Amino acid sequence: MNAMTRVLPRLAPESWRVVYAFLAAIVLFLIGEAVHPGFLGLASVETVLVIASFVGLVAAGQCFVVLIGGIDLSVPWVLNAGAVLLTTTSLGLDSRAPLAIVVTLGFGLLAGAANGVGVAWFGVPAVVMTLAMNGIVEGLVLGLTGGFTCAACSSYAPPLIQHLAHGDLLGVPAALWLWVGIIVLVSAVLSITRFGRATYALGNNPRAAALAGVNVNGTTILLYAASGLFSALAGIMLVGFGGQASLGMGDPYLFTSIAAVVIGGVNILGGRGYYLGAAAGAVSLTVLVSVLLALNMPDYVRSIVYGVVILALLLAYGRETES
Amino acid sequence: MPPDASAIALPRGSRLGHAIGQNIGLILGIAILLLAILGFVLVYGLEQRRLPGNFELTTTINSAMPLVFSAVGQTFVVLTKGIDLSVGGVVDLANAMAAVTMGKTLGSALFWSVVILLVGAACGLVNGLLVALGRLQPIVVTLGTLSIFQGLAIRVLPQPGGAIPPAFTDLLVNPNEPWALIFIVLLGFGWAAFRRSRPGVDLYAIGNDEAAARALGIDILRTKIIAYVLDGVLAAAAGLFLAATATAGDATTGDSYTLTSIVAVVLGGVSLFGGRGSAIGAIAGALITTLIVNILFFGHVDPLFQSFYEGVFLLIAVIAGGVIGGAIRRRR
Repeated sequence: MNAMTRVLPRLAPESWRVVYAFLAAIVLFLIGEAVHPGFLGLASVETVLVIASFVGLVAAGQCFVVLIGGIDLSVPWVLNAGAVLLTTTSLGLDSRAPLAIVVTLGFGLLAGAANGVGVAWFGVPAVVMTLAMNGIVEGLVLGLTGGFTCAACSSYAPPLIQHLAHGDLLGVPAALWLWVGIIVLVSAVLSITRFGRATYALGNNPRAAALAGVNVNGTTILLYAASGLFSALAGIMLVGFGGQASLGMGDPYLFTSIAAVVIGGVNILGGRGYYLGAAAGAVSLTVLVSVLLALNMPDYVRSIVYGVVILALLLAYGRETES
Repeated sequence: MPPDASAIALPRGSRLGHAIGQNIGLILGIAILLLAILGFVLVYGLEQRRLPGNFELTTTINSAMPLVFSAVGQTFVVLTKGIDLSVGGVVDLANAMAAVTMGKTLGSALFWSVVILLVGAACGLVNGLLVALGRLQPIVVTLGTLSIFQGLAIRVLPQPGGAIPPAFTDLLVNPNEPWALIFIVLLGFGWAAFRRSRPGVDLYAIGNDEAAARALGIDILRTKIIAYVLDGVLAAAAGLFLAATATAGDATTGDSYTLTSIVAVVLGGVSLFGGRGSAIGAIAGALITTLIVNILFFGHVDPLFQSFYEGVFLLIAVIAGGVIGGAIRRRR
């Protein structure tokens, strides 16, 4: 045992959880290959990773707010609104794509910042604030598009954005480059910047953080704004991938993004965890669903196995240490 | 937080003042309920040129029943500082089972109701064991079990359908008279009894300070499991009411009760930080939520905008409640 501990690098429990999350993803890939030969083919793995990147983008925002003990339940309709805004603003034209992207991301940022203001300034519990925001955005999307019957609603995503979601760069899907960039960026922000340290401090003990000079309200608002931004970005990528927006397209991303974050070893009470783990969690969950789909499992089996695997992974390495 | 003098001093005001301060969430919840009733009567009166009568009361109560039960269930768990995202899954499962099993007679319907409530208890037991023994956070446990229960519900009833005996519908949600109010009153009495029982007192202690409760010798494991089991039973009862109202089953209509039960609990003044609030407030919250939908309907608000107004209302109620509650606590 002593020899073991000497060989293995000394890692904090949170870091081990990132390692476990990656191991879980790899094991799930191997199980996929075992039950469905060809699952580990390059094209198949690429597809799984691209789909995982959409979950991963949402999980980046979710990770930010979970790190301060918050949660973002407004993901489904902020994402959905993002997708609708992108198509209705761009009308499928490349020339309008930059404007549409700015409008969409700006909207995500605003909706998220409003969440942050409610949580930070008005002291509304994050669950209530983001749940209300989800309803507000849902009502606005449905109402303003007339139940998605508007003329612009059937617009396609501009070819430029479809290319971004489907295209390759140096043999690797462009969506994966984007995700890798986001992973590096988010990890860097969290681990080496002042803002990142403020985030962890806030998650561990808000009072102590405030006494240490952390701008609690400002940091909270920025984190929620970032979450809204990432949801909107995921909406852009999804509409680029699927071509058109649809109502309810954001719904699966709520619980999946939370599951990805906790499977990735981020403490749901805040203060501990890394986005790299959440990214691995997003891959694990996507691989799991892909394997079950490849096996032609009926809906109900997929749903049950999904829940069982989440619980099994959490029981294996996500338990609270007894204090 | 360092204890300052005002926090540890005995209440200066009267006993009444103390009672108001302690139950501010519940009082605000009931105040909002009265406002919602007033609002509904006004909007309805302006629209229909008469006051709402027996029919309106009956339909409102009947449509509120599943939410009333799931919100009270949610209350038990929220009081322990937890949250139950699997409520919708249990409602789905109970609803699906009811549609498949009940057959044609009231006798078989009642027999299967008991079985379904036991299944709900089992669902709650799984949640409780994973939270209390597994040392996992309630939100992630119930996220996992939500998926499992939803899957089981679809397995039981892959397509919407099945049938509920009309006698069962008449018993639970009589379409002619607001008899369903009796169940709400029973729920209130049941709550009052539970609140004074040992597990009831322990529940509040755990929600306020789990470490202190443990130090006092409170059986955390047992109390939490009781809370989750009661939650499961009540969510299953919500599923039965939903089936009785719809007179058929659907394995997905219950999904929405996860989030609406949380909304009802919050509107009823139950603190999501645990240890504060009551099931009476949750019942008020469930009725408020139902009345808001009715107000929007009779106010001719475009149904597409419905969730927008619900969201805005929830925010206003919670923010105003926080401001008023804070002001009253400071004055004391």
